[in-house]
Amino acid sequence: MVPVARRNLFAEKGRFAISVAGVAFAVLLILIVLALYRGFNRTGQTFRDLPGQLWVVQRGTSDPFHSISLIDRMRLATDTQVPGVRATVPVLARSMNFDAGGTQVSARLMALDVPADLASGDLRERYLPPEGAVIIDDTLRRKTGLSTGDTARFGTESLKIERVRPRSPEVLFQFVWVNFADAQRIFGVGDVVMYGMVILEPGAAPQAVAQAIVERDPGLQVYTKEAFAASISKEMDETFLPVISILVAIGFIVGAAVVGLTIYTATIERTREFGVMKAVGGSGGFLYRIVLSQAAMLTAAGFVVGTLGAWGVAQLAIEAVPEFATDFQLADLAGVFVAAVFMAVLASFMPVRRINSIDPAIVFRA
Amino acid sequence: MNDCDERQILRATALMKVFGEGDSQVRAVDGVDLRVCAGEMLLIMGPSGSGKTTLLTMLGGLLRPTSGTIDIGGVDITAVKESQLTPIRRTSVGFIFQSFNLWESLSVQENVELALNMAGVSGRAASSRARALLEQQGLGHRLKFRSRNLSGGEKQRVSIARALANEPRLLLADEPTANLDSKHGREVMHLLRDLSRTGERAVVVVSHDQRIREVADRVLWLEDGRIKDIGQLVRDPVCGASVETDTSVTLEHEGRTYYFCSRGCSWEFQQSPERFTSGATPAPATP
Repeated sequence: MVPVARRNLFAEKGRFAISVAGVAFAVLLILIVLALYRGFNRTGQTFRDLPGQLWVVQRGTSDPFHSISLIDRMRLATDTQVPGVRATVPVLARSMNFDAGGTQVSARLMALDVPADLASGDLRERYLPPEGAVIIDDTLRRKTGLSTGDTARFGTESLKIERVRPRSPEVLFQFVWVNFADAQRIFGVGDVVMYGMVILEPGAAPQAVAQAIVERDPGLQVYTKEAFAASISKEMDETFLPVISILVAIGFIVGAAVVGLTIYTATIERTREFGVMKAVGGSGGFLYRIVLSQAAMLTAAGFVVGTLGAWGVAQLAIEAVPEFATDFQLADLAGVFVAAVFMAVLASFMPVRRINSIDPAIVFRA
Repeated sequence: MNDCDERQILRATALMKVFGEGDSQVRAVDGVDLRVCAGEMLLIMGPSGSGKTTLLTMLGGLLRPTSGTIDIGGVDITAVKESQLTPIRRTSVGFIFQSFNLWESLSVQENVELALNMAGVSGRAASSRARALLEQQGLGHRLKFRSRNLSGGEKQRVSIARALANEPRLLLADEPTANLDSKHGREVMHLLRDLSRTGERAVVVVSHDQRIREVADRVLWLEDGRIKDIGQLVRDPVCGASVETDTSVTLEHEGRTYYFCSRGCSWEFQQSPERFTSGATPAPATP
């Protein structure tokens, strides 16, 4: 078959390039917004990664970031008597500013008092620095300029950077992992802790254990780790999802408008040629296929350029803004592709109507 | 039943097209009857605004007549639905236009191939047929050229090749020589005549170009939407020009009438009739 659609599009290379750029911009906008949303939505992943299956908090605590939980660690000690509980790890956590070489930086300090028999090499590597030291992640390193061996001042305590972990998914706050004894001194909380991280025996049912803990001490509240992490992303959803939806819709409309205008213009310009096709026996389906193919090619080119562009922009943005967290998911990519196909079909609607209205007798007009 | 009854390709009966209503009503075509047979080239002439193009547009199934019938290859195209007209135009009618109407973004070969694609012929079958048609038109060296880069004469030959792609039995040509210089115009005229003579097809040409009268078998004059048969055309045995029986110089020889374009030809004939009498029979008239 003669590639009429391709020939028509490439007959005006400049316009084709501009149109591809327009669609690519729309795809880029949609993908970046979605990737940002996914990236931000991974906030709280730390609570899923930690070994505890349940989190014990003071009753009424809504989430780890915006709500204060104060528990006497003796109350947590009784939790270990609940069947199915292997250990309850006292946790100190607080957002605070610290001095990173003269610059005040905000971060979330976390300290776990893991029993020696449970403190595996991996846990030590990731979360349990020795006394006088902290573990930070790469995002915080780039924000502060701190690196391994440097010293930062947390309140009255000067702590050494023990190691820098790879970039964590936390966006709202970067975590600084502190030794528990150091945290007690920095926070000045004595025997009060913020949370208890419950590590279950193999095969124990988390819900049943949670219920048993609350029955023993109604002043406590127990979250599964998923629910605790979700309490953070819930806030993200409520705050950002409407904004993101609007941005995605704008991207979609921009893309559809660009494709639509391009194909419509190309159709208007070639009204006579389409008229000739009709006159010499081109069926409606034959002509619609040309228009749809033009729209599909334009959209496909825009999708490829937009996807590569989105990835490039994300890389550049990370260089400029360390907290810029994007997560490109295949499902989103597939979704944007489907949206792009829909965009192409929608954009073909007006040109197809135009073709319908072309009088084939136009061919006899000089 | 005469020869044309068997070889009839197009017949229009009481064809009428009225535009507008009331006082502004215009009868562009008014009660036209015509018949064209295989092997015949019919020329329709007339002043501007006489309805020639409207008539051709209706004959090609691109415009519905107000009344009357058009029979193409045994199908009354005025009685079929719009959707049924498309395949009729695709396979039974070939169009040749004044302004060529080539698809400019396509190559010469693709212009012909696309017409085949529309009829469901694709791949090698389409490309080899397109090549063959273009080679017949002397355009074998221009296959990959963009159509916009061709001369007028070449464009018209591509247009003719495209019109022939699906082997229609009826060719409709609208002012096919209007945008061509005299040399290329003459080439196209002879090409159209050859197409009517060699194949099982008829050619209807609408034109102002008097030169086409030389090659047409019959000329109709259209004025104010009405047809006037301006005469049967026969061949001058001396110079070969087509001449009208009504207005030409005539000469009786051995019981037969011969028609000449001028007294000069008549005089030359009289000097030695035997040189011109073999094969000089006047072209048969078409009713």
